[in-house]
Amino acid sequence: MREPVRFEDLRVGLEVPSLSKVVRREDVKAYADASGDQNPLHQSDEFARAAGFPGIIAHGMFTMAHLTSCLVRWLGDPGALLRMRVQFRSVVFMGDTIVAGGRVRELDPERRTATLDVWVTVERDGTTEYPIKRSEAEVRPG
Amino acid sequence: MALNLGLEGKVYPAIAFPVEADRVARFARAVGDDGSFVPPTFVTAGEFAALVQVIADPELGLDTTRVVHGEQEYEWRRPLRLGEELSVHPRIASIRTRGGHEFLTVETEMRDPQGELVVLARNTLIVRRRG
Repeated sequence: MREPVRFEDLRVGLEVPSLSKVVRREDVKAYADASGDQNPLHQSDEFARAAGFPGIIAHGMFTMAHLTSCLVRWLGDPGALLRMRVQFRSVVFMGDTIVAGGRVRELDPERRTATLDVWVTVERDGTTEYPIKRSEAEVRPG
Repeated sequence: MALNLGLEGKVYPAIAFPVEADRVARFARAVGDDGSFVPPTFVTAGEFAALVQVIADPELGLDTTRVVHGEQEYEWRRPLRLGEELSVHPRIASIRTRGGHEFLTVETEMRDPQGELVVLARNTLIVRRRG
């Protein structure tokens, strides 16, 4: 992990370094096996097409896990992540590049916590979609 | 079929959630972490195992073909520890209708053997309007 961010480093408006990755079928399958969520929507193209999608979609929680990875890398400590609330607004297809990011919205010097706006984006057909939007995290860096 | 509003507040049996090193390692690989810590969202595995009871509850009448995951929230009181076993307690917190869609929120507490709250999870499933 990189050098952990400190509370003293934080300013309102400071951006969390973004983290991107390409969503691969084998990772989504590995996620299904490790999480226990074997919904066929995330494994069977035939099932996904019947549900109105061009192919399988990633679990929302797969995308939330990626956002969490982004924050923990920045914080340098999984224990510094206190709370996260996300809204799933768009689906993620195989081959998509998901980009997680965040920005400091508010600081609480007494508790040494920060509230962040957080999101995950995908560029698709020239437009930016938000698989995770209007979401927030509360962190307490060292 | 509409959701059974009478089930707000229903508590489901607790299940055991062992934080097994092998499963944590597989989860970390799947989400792209380096395996040096328990990924915070590993708690999803325990939450989902308990949530299955709610989803399959014949009294609730959830049409799984119309369900999408709308929102998710976690409050972590501390990181999970390898080898510990948590008990997972799901409860239907609310059932709401908005714009023809139904919103089912399940709150799940994860407690350690001493009864201390480790994680509070809130999962909102959206049952999409027909047509």
